[in-house]
Amino acid sequence: MNATVFRQVLRQQRLRLLVVVVALTAWGTLMPIVYSSIGPQMASIIKQFPAFEQMAHFGGGDLFSLPGTISLGFIHPIAIALLAVFAIALPLSGVAGERQRGTLEIVLARPVSRRSYYVTLQVAVILFIGLAMAATLVGTVLACSAVNVIDQLNLATFPALWLNGVLLYFAIAAIAFAASVSFDRMGPAAGVTLVIVLVAYFLQIIGSLWPDAAWLQAYSLFHYLQPDLILAGGLQVFDCVLLLVVGSIAVVYALIVFPRRDLAAPT
Amino acid sequence: MAVIETHGLSKHYGTGRFPPGRRHETVRALHELTVSVEEGEIFGFLGPNGAGKTTTIRLLLGLIHPTSGGARVLDHDISGGSLAIRAATGYLPGGIALYDTLTGEQTLDYLGSLYGRPTPLRGELTDRLEMSARTLRRPVRDYSRGMRQKIGIIQALQHDPELAILDEPTEGLDPLMQHAFYDLLDERRKAGRTVFFSSHVLSEVERLCDRVAIIRAGEMVALSNVADLLAHRKRHVEMRLDGAPPTLDGVAGVSNIVTRPGHLSCELEGDVRPFLAAISGAAITDLTIEPARLEEAFLEYYADEDAAEVAAAAAAAHLADAAR
Repeated sequence: MNATVFRQVLRQQRLRLLVVVVALTAWGTLMPIVYSSIGPQMASIIKQFPAFEQMAHFGGGDLFSLPGTISLGFIHPIAIALLAVFAIALPLSGVAGERQRGTLEIVLARPVSRRSYYVTLQVAVILFIGLAMAATLVGTVLACSAVNVIDQLNLATFPALWLNGVLLYFAIAAIAFAASVSFDRMGPAAGVTLVIVLVAYFLQIIGSLWPDAAWLQAYSLFHYLQPDLILAGGLQVFDCVLLLVVGSIAVVYALIVFPRRDLAAPT
Repeated sequence: MAVIETHGLSKHYGTGRFPPGRRHETVRALHELTVSVEEGEIFGFLGPNGAGKTTTIRLLLGLIHPTSGGARVLDHDISGGSLAIRAATGYLPGGIALYDTLTGEQTLDYLGSLYGRPTPLRGELTDRLEMSARTLRRPVRDYSRGMRQKIGIIQALQHDPELAILDEPTEGLDPLMQHAFYDLLDERRKAGRTVFFSSHVLSEVERLCDRVAIIRAGEMVALSNVADLLAHRKRHVEMRLDGAPPTLDGVAGVSNIVTRPGHLSCELEGDVRPFLAAISGAAITDLTIEPARLEEAFLEYYADEDAAEVAAAAAAAHLADAAR
């Protein structure tokens, strides 16, 4: 961990962090408002047409219950895109992007080890993800209070939800970092990362909408963040451990590969 | 004391095996480089683009790993002591890339603080290279190429490193700034600091360096004191005559004699005294002996393979002498 690099990353990302935190707070407020507006009506419609119930479970979320609506907010592409600013874009630009621009060279020509540089970025990414996830939950709590549905939630489960969410994006970020340290250019690293994330997302969505394909969800990282289960029953230990293991494998890979790679002259 | 010592340092790159079926080729970027740079000298590393200069520098700094051979820099092995090497080294990469969103001052602060040591030379360097406080407060994205290069030079030298490794340092500098930079390097030499710099600008190598290595296609083809190199190069002689030309056939060091009425030209190598003795009786109205330029030495080395092989043998002999 290098304090100077860490301060520089904070300085570079502070505006982006502010925008993402504000946007995710707003996003977090939106879901309870949507639920209070149309949730009960949606539930009565589905009761009349039970055949459509499965189709309404987009990614494991729904609009019939408050936990289901919060789950929908977590799996929605907008939330994922906002969190990807730190879970995907920062890892890719922090190593492969800096190498492509040539700025990595002047940093690593100083007494900064590659492992320390990587760990510093990884810590910064976890911090940003933690703040972004907290902002989402703060927005959710504020909106639940505003629309008087807070009594439908067990607030004691929120730290577990925060932890599970952070672990999901930690795993994604670690994969993005692993790709980033493996390539000299942003393009291939971004391609590999996006393929992994999009395939995982597709498996989760298709499995949630189509009962015969439900088994596919087990192969998606997104399946291991199920806010409705956490809000109902607390920490999902297996999910958290699995995400931690996936992220840790990617971290170990990066810690081995990055120092061994040649940093060829910038292109 | 040797500040840089390389022993058979080699770097070969593969072209990769993807897509399947593609022919795998190995590029020899650097092949068995053995060279020693002494403390307090300015050492020039000369060669055309793609010769292996930057590869050598990147190997010394641990940015890339050698295929075979090794090196020690400031008494640290490049494989195990890379951090210690970088802590005592200032590095200017060729075509330096900077953080566009930072100001010049923020850039120097950031890059300086990564060393974890004071930057005692910053004020002097910014003054000498005419980077005013106002200029340093502007974002780097607004800088011209020359200004970026000046920031590059300052960041490499501001912490007063024991060794400065500079990759084509005068690229983008105007002639005035080039001279200011040459003076800076002279002062570093006087202060006992070591400078290793690569260049393809022959005049600056000739002006600045104590010794020079010439590299071609990844192999060192010459290593010599600049003075020695120049002393062994041919000088071009032109003379105007008011009478018969002197007889120069067989005079030591004289070659390529061309005569026409009232004029004689030739090439002169080594000691000038036999030549001066031979022309002493001639009716010479004008005489020009062009000083030997490193450029000519350089071009001669690169002119043909045979010359390069002879030069490589000379370099090996020079190294053997140094070892003795």
